[in-house]
Amino acid sequence: MKQQAADILDTKTLTVQDAIDKYKVASTKTWWQKTGNYRIAFLYLLPSLLLFSVFMFYPMIYSLYLSFFFTDAQGTASAFVGWENYTYLFQSAAFRNSVGVTLLFVLYTVPSSVIIALFLALLANEKLRGIGLYRTIFASTLGMSVAASAVIWLFMFHPTAGILNAALTSINLPALSWLQDSTMALVSVAITTIWMNTGFSFLILLGGLQNIDEHLYESARIDGAGYFYRLRRITVPMLSPTLFFIITITFINSFQSFGQVDILTGGGPAEATNLIIYSIYKEAFIYYQFGPASAQAIILFGAVLLLTLLQFKFGEKKVHYQ
Amino acid sequence: MKKTLFFMSVSLLTLAACASNEEGETNEAEAEGEASAEEVDEETNNEAEISEEVVEIEFWHGMGGGLGDTLEALVDDYNASQEEFHITPEYQGSYEELLTQFRTVGGTETAPALVQMFEVGTKYMIESGYITPVQEWIDKDGYDVTQLEENILSYYTVEDELYSMPFNSSTPALYFNKDMFEEAGLDPENPPRTFSEIKEAAEKLTDEDTYGFSMLGHGWFFEQLIATQSADYVDQENGRTADATEVLFGGEEGLRAYEWLNEMNEAGTFEYYGRDWDDLRAAFQTENVAMYMDSSAGTKDAINNAGFEVGVSFIPHADEIDPNGVVIGGASVWMGSGISEEEQQGAWEFMKWFNQPEVQAEWHVNTGYFATHPEAYNEPVVEGEHEEYPQLRVPIEQLQATVPSSATQGALITVFPESREQVVTSLEELYQGTSPEDALQMAVEGSNRAIEVSERASE
Repeated sequence: MKQQAADILDTKTLTVQDAIDKYKVASTKTWWQKTGNYRIAFLYLLPSLLLFSVFMFYPMIYSLYLSFFFTDAQGTASAFVGWENYTYLFQSAAFRNSVGVTLLFVLYTVPSSVIIALFLALLANEKLRGIGLYRTIFASTLGMSVAASAVIWLFMFHPTAGILNAALTSINLPALSWLQDSTMALVSVAITTIWMNTGFSFLILLGGLQNIDEHLYESARIDGAGYFYRLRRITVPMLSPTLFFIITITFINSFQSFGQVDILTGGGPAEATNLIIYSIYKEAFIYYQFGPASAQAIILFGAVLLLTLLQFKFGEKKVHYQ
Repeated sequence: MKKTLFFMSVSLLTLAACASNEEGETNEAEAEGEASAEEVDEETNNEAEISEEVVEIEFWHGMGGGLGDTLEALVDDYNASQEEFHITPEYQGSYEELLTQFRTVGGTETAPALVQMFEVGTKYMIESGYITPVQEWIDKDGYDVTQLEENILSYYTVEDELYSMPFNSSTPALYFNKDMFEEAGLDPENPPRTFSEIKEAAEKLTDEDTYGFSMLGHGWFFEQLIATQSADYVDQENGRTADATEVLFGGEEGLRAYEWLNEMNEAGTFEYYGRDWDDLRAAFQTENVAMYMDSSAGTKDAINNAGFEVGVSFIPHADEIDPNGVVIGGASVWMGSGISEEEQQGAWEFMKWFNQPEVQAEWHVNTGYFATHPEAYNEPVVEGEHEEYPQLRVPIEQLQATVPSSATQGALITVFPESREQVVTSLEELYQGTSPEDALQMAVEGSNRAIEVSERASE
């Protein structure tokens, strides 16, 4: 039976193939001419490819290479160790802690950054007298460098001279060890990060809000839709491309938060804020162990890539493009 | 077809333009390089007309703020004192950053002739091959090195060779609030010495907004608590006879220190203020902490900033053992290899100069670091200063009372920065409630792994 079916299929394909051969006009173009477009595309891409190769691909491939070695005091790969850097990482309690801390940090910062920025953007989108001032204030953290913001918060978190503890004690609450207590420290770093993220997210979201067609609201209002109904049915869907962009960017930024950790806690206390990116830095530039550091970097790269792909696969379905 | 050709030629042209641009840039850069080289030549020539020939010597250091200013002033004095050499100090960031910088340029032409390096970088420097041991110049010049402070020399002497010249050395000491001692009914002239005495005093000193004792999150202090019990940090005579293969601080001596800190922490008489020196100092100044350990280099600041009487005493030691003293900390100055004989000569002259009693007297008075030359303490400036701040004498007495041994000589390991990190992390775990045994074991395992990795990497 099967053989028969295959035969029929075979004859069919043959007939189609025959037809093609019969009516085919032989191309006068040579292979060289046919691939012309690709060569032009390549030429146009060449400058960026060159830059990417020097600053992205080469370091990435070199990291991958280093991750299979131990490095000597000069930082050159000296002993091939195979997968040991990776297997050691998966067994190491310190690395598992870093992974946990990083995920927790992302959980603390991403939703709250986006929600706060959205809330502020909705407020600032109202047409009121002097709203420009508030828009400037809300967006102002955008202009602050990571180092400057972290130092400001460092002063505020100071256990004895900080304004936060002064405020707490003035209303008869006990002073907190903002950066010295291991559970509090991650929250403190997260607060700083949210504060830093808000300016940028706010500005982009406000831009998105301003782009929504006023007529949509007008018709909704005529139909008797309340504020929250309009928010849910018009604002959020119309804003979804912007929201998706902001969520993706905040997400990636959150995985790569470094400056504030370095300035506020140095990964401590007891590794409670030792995010993977900070752990990579310590391994590479304090201990000078480029092998294990590269292995961590490769794992982080894989994880962020995977999560971003997942986000695109599932998140993008909910995005409404006009 | 024509269009395609046109586009291709355009892009090719652009490429060609890019290429020629690049060439142009390189040419320009080269030309600039030549120009600046010429300028330098001219400058040297101009100066040469006045003096014979000035040799430029770069000096990398890690002293910021007020200490950096003092250092620059010292170098200016040297430059003014003679006309043969010119030392150019360059601040490269913290000690850790300085080490990283030196690692990147070591062995290249941009490497400095003189570089300051913190004590735990000693082993790395020796192994790096980028330095010339100062012993070579000591022998060549017939310099009498025994005139310098023995306890400082012993740290930087490895297998009977002095590798780097002592520069800024300090030790830890116990700092306490004398006013609080009186209020609590303790004798400020007779401060607690042993672990249990400190613990009892801390209980009396603790109240609603004051903690009795605190220790900075820095491996240096733990190392001292081990050394004063005459225990080595690592095997092979503290890494001095051969490469260390494992750490030894996990024994009873280390456990005593961890248990002591844990007992105070659990009793609520100890508070941890993190890894930043200034945070702990601020807590002492605002009277939130009654006793703490600090570097002797901070003595004058502590006294000047405090609104109360500051007492200084020897570091705490375990009850069971007589104190063996302290290991010196701070930094020394290294001579780069691969530079001209002339530059090395200049570097060496500078090293000799700053170890003179008069120079060291100024240095000690202005910074609080030890004088590397004991005779400096007899200089009038120092005597005057000691009258005014008698507390400055305590660290000197403590250093001179130190029993020489491999323990107080200090450990030599390549992975010292990493081991310190492990110790501090495990202490933080301890303060968060991990048992002393488990916390100490973590530090031991982490340090041993670092030693193992570095050993296998250098095979």
